[in-house]
Amino acid sequence: MNHTGGKGLLSNRHTADKMFSLMLLLPAIITTIVFILIPVADSIYRSFFDYRVRNIISGQPGVWNNFANYIKLFSNGKLVPSMVNTLVFVFGVVIAQFIFGMALALILNTNMKASRFIRSIMMIPWVVPTIISGLVWIWMFQPQYGFVKYLVGLVTGGRITDFAILNNPSTAMFGVSCAALWKQIPLGTLLLLAGLANVPDDMLEAAKIDGANAVQRFFKITMPYMKSVIKVTVSMSIIENFKQFPLFWTMTGGGPNNSTTTMAILSYREAFVSNNFGSGAAVTTVWMLMMIVVVFIYNRIFKKDEV
Amino acid sequence: MKRNRLLGNIVKYAVLIVILVFLLFPLFWVLMTSFKSNMEAYKFPPTFIPESPTVQSYIDLFTKNNEFFIYYRNNFIVAGGAAALTTFIAIMAGYALSRFHFRWNGWIVACFTSAQMFPVVSRLISLYKILGDVHLINTRLGVVLAITASMLPFTIMLMSSFYDGIPVELEEAARVDGAGRLQILFKVVAPLIKPGMLAVGIYAFLLSWDDYLHAATLIQTDTLRTLSAGVALRYLGELSYDWSLVNTISIVGTLPMVILFFFFQKYMVKGLVAGAVKG
Repeated sequence: MNHTGGKGLLSNRHTADKMFSLMLLLPAIITTIVFILIPVADSIYRSFFDYRVRNIISGQPGVWNNFANYIKLFSNGKLVPSMVNTLVFVFGVVIAQFIFGMALALILNTNMKASRFIRSIMMIPWVVPTIISGLVWIWMFQPQYGFVKYLVGLVTGGRITDFAILNNPSTAMFGVSCAALWKQIPLGTLLLLAGLANVPDDMLEAAKIDGANAVQRFFKITMPYMKSVIKVTVSMSIIENFKQFPLFWTMTGGGPNNSTTTMAILSYREAFVSNNFGSGAAVTTVWMLMMIVVVFIYNRIFKKDEV
Repeated sequence: MKRNRLLGNIVKYAVLIVILVFLLFPLFWVLMTSFKSNMEAYKFPPTFIPESPTVQSYIDLFTKNNEFFIYYRNNFIVAGGAAALTTFIAIMAGYALSRFHFRWNGWIVACFTSAQMFPVVSRLISLYKILGDVHLINTRLGVVLAITASMLPFTIMLMSSFYDGIPVELEEAARVDGAGRLQILFKVVAPLIKPGMLAVGIYAFLLSWDDYLHAATLIQTDTLRTLSAGVALRYLGELSYDWSLVNTISIVGTLPMVILFFFFQKYMVKGLVAGAVKG
């Protein structure tokens, strides 16, 4: 840099830099504040009020109702099952996605002939819109003419003929998870493949010569080198699945018997089906707290590992 | 040793085939169904290749179900608008975060990262009222703004990682030649991060194309609805499904994204990986 300007000029430059930087950031900051931060803060605030769609229509403010929204949710037994469903879905899909994504990435990382081609076609489910992935899997699972019914009949030799995964409270969550995995495995694989590229070949080669087997090499060399990529991949997956709404809404609508009612479904139903915004806001507030706790614990685990 | 290797290879290819079949077969199945008549689609056991292939459901989609193309067009307008706006804002904000390191950067990044986490439903409860107050409820512009906001955090980080790769010396040289700051940004630096703009633009287009919740709650007029919201409301939830039509909709609704992806996958893959792994 040019130092002939002296102190006055430099600090002028500094102020100008600051103004310019602020000017460039302003559109992004304003959009984020107006469309994300204010609405989120506002919905937390509304969760303490009796606030319904008629308040919007008539322009009347909500009425403070002594945490009635929260008390009602806990006492009518809607909230806790939804929290459990959300956690089951998030953990199930995140773990399965990691295992399948890692397996696929490891296989594609070997010098296979078709690797490039497979890398590109395997991405297709990722670009399928979520609502349409729901449609794809409703059709696969269709109880009378669906392919999965046919497959199950074939595998069990015709013993199970009424396989309707989405209509059974004990399997519906698994059915929706299949659709979620189908859409998410590709991106997970892609990111993990990028991480595998960072693992030095000579280290793996040296370990092989020293007699380490494939499993040892994977856990002692590959995994540690991929740590930052794994951390990002898994945390993206946690957040995405916590927020999952359209798949549940199209595939099961939260049913049967509320077995797939997650926090997303419950809050949407309270706010936009029952038109009780205050109650819906209470659900989203608990939901956000849950996410913060999970992400906090997750970051903690990864930090501890680093020491 | 040799037998072990053979066994390893068998396991490897078996796993590969199972995962690939899981990922690709459903699409094949939907594609095949879209070329079947409803009579054949309702056959059990199902046929793998249509016995009497027909494009009737595609013709029906064009001629009878015109609402679909209204949703389709709206989806192009909303996704295109949101992608353009997002890219433009990210070009500026990404540059600021990459080039200037002020104390507020940390705060801004923290705000963005947390903003990304908030579920859409929690924002919609208030957005419904806020957009109503400024008369943007039930308009495509309102949806575009709401979607853009939700995409900005990630796309700005992504864009800023592209700026990190451009040497500052270039700008110094332009400055000596007397170019203004905005001129430097848009005439000198921005052309060099075209791959970044493509990555951000296409990713934003892909995400907005996928939007369901914003459009479903912020728009009530049927002719303004976008693809996902329109399809979910009109073609789902009826007692009897017209399955060959639904599968045709799936194919037509996905096709633009598949084409876009295959044309620009180099930029998208590189960009996403760089953004996610660094940011």
